[in-house]
Amino acid sequence: MPVTRTQKEIRQRAPLWLLALLGVNLVLMSVSARDESGHKRLIQVWAQGLVSPVQNLFSGATGTGAGFFQHLGSLNRAATENEELKRRLAATETELREARMARDENERLKGLLELKEQGGYGMVPARVIARDPSEWFDSVIINRGSSSGIERDMPVVTHEGIVGRIIGVSPYTAQVLLITDERSAAGAIVGQLGTSQALGSVRGYGKNGLLDMRYVSGLETVKQNDLVTTTGQDSIYPPGLSVGEVVELKQGSATSPHEIKVKPSARLNSLGEVAILLYHAPPRTPPADAPPNTRKQ
Amino acid sequence: MKLKIAVCVALAVLLQTNLRLVWPPLVFLDLPLVVVTYFALRRDVAQAIFVGFIAGLATDIFSKGLLGANGFSKTLIAYLIAALVTRVMLDNPLARIPVLAGAAAFDAVVIVFLHRLLGQPSLLPFAETAAYKMIATTVAGTFIFYMFDIFFSDRARQRRHFAFRRRAARRSLVRR
Repeated sequence: MPVTRTQKEIRQRAPLWLLALLGVNLVLMSVSARDESGHKRLIQVWAQGLVSPVQNLFSGATGTGAGFFQHLGSLNRAATENEELKRRLAATETELREARMARDENERLKGLLELKEQGGYGMVPARVIARDPSEWFDSVIINRGSSSGIERDMPVVTHEGIVGRIIGVSPYTAQVLLITDERSAAGAIVGQLGTSQALGSVRGYGKNGLLDMRYVSGLETVKQNDLVTTTGQDSIYPPGLSVGEVVELKQGSATSPHEIKVKPSARLNSLGEVAILLYHAPPRTPPADAPPNTRKQ
Repeated sequence: MKLKIAVCVALAVLLQTNLRLVWPPLVFLDLPLVVVTYFALRRDVAQAIFVGFIAGLATDIFSKGLLGANGFSKTLIAYLIAALVTRVMLDNPLARIPVLAGAAAFDAVVIVFLHRLLGQPSLLPFAETAAYKMIATTVAGTFIFYMFDIFFSDRARQRRHFAFRRRAARRSLVRR
């Protein structure tokens, strides 16, 4: 028969139970403290073995929860890192672009320097600062003008080839008519002066950025990819400068000239640095048997 | 009722062993102590002492510390709170806050004292750890007490009791 105790009896006996339980704990602690080997007590091993399946479930559930919160935190970190990496990538791309531009500029300037050494005439480097906004004209504006000694009809070149000529000068800027403009022309020869007889003149074709080479005798041998250079007969460009290469050719005959299309050597669509050659063509002596209406200088 | 208490204690201990996995600072939250304090506040000294003993010992089993240190501390705390609640009215939720805070601080003091007494090395800085433990346990314990009140309070028990009587009355009406 179960013994029923009143609340008063329970309260009276509580200190005893307390002391007993504290005593049990003290004994356990003493034993635990004396065990210097650090091994787990038998009760701990058993209890942990019994509880381990439940604990596995718990740790799985809390692990999932923890994983969720960690992933949330990781997402936040990943987003921040992503922003940082994007910013760095943009900065690196800008640096790379600038480095490439600097390298290209360096190559162009080196080319111009070589050209100056080869030509033996003065040269003013300039930078293209604007292109003609109108679709009707093919001209550019450079940042050098009369204050730098620039004059009308001076040739403008890059290390790759001729670009055009000066058609307007202000103190600090000048306008350059590109050779691709229909109003532009230059004396040219297929091949090199002295070795070729395929003389003619190139002028802007007005489309595809090509030049039209005219008046080349159909008896001369011209092939695709032949180089075209200046002759100096136009009193603008010095002789021997590269104009371009033959890209289209319709063979002529004894009675008709070749129809030649030339691709300019200079990259006219991406002009950066150019050079104005301080070149003055040698004065032409008028022929002795000039017609009577020719003005004598 | 005893089954519910056992489930609460088991859940508290098992959760306590996994809290650090969720968020490391949650280790300062002492869930078994919250459970012990709650049942100690129910004016049943004997029940409080046994809950404290079991919860403390269960915590020790999964702890690397001295086996019995938590048991000793929580048994003592349970008895002290149960003795206090017979003299002071602590049913007010606001009054429970200092009890929880005091229990957390006392628990830290006792455990560290016992470890020192038995020549065990104390690794953590005492004041900092005790302060964090007190704050975490008090804050979380206050909310846990609210949840426990839903299941264990006298009012909840009366509500369930009357709900049963209402259902019984309805059944008898349907029969008539």
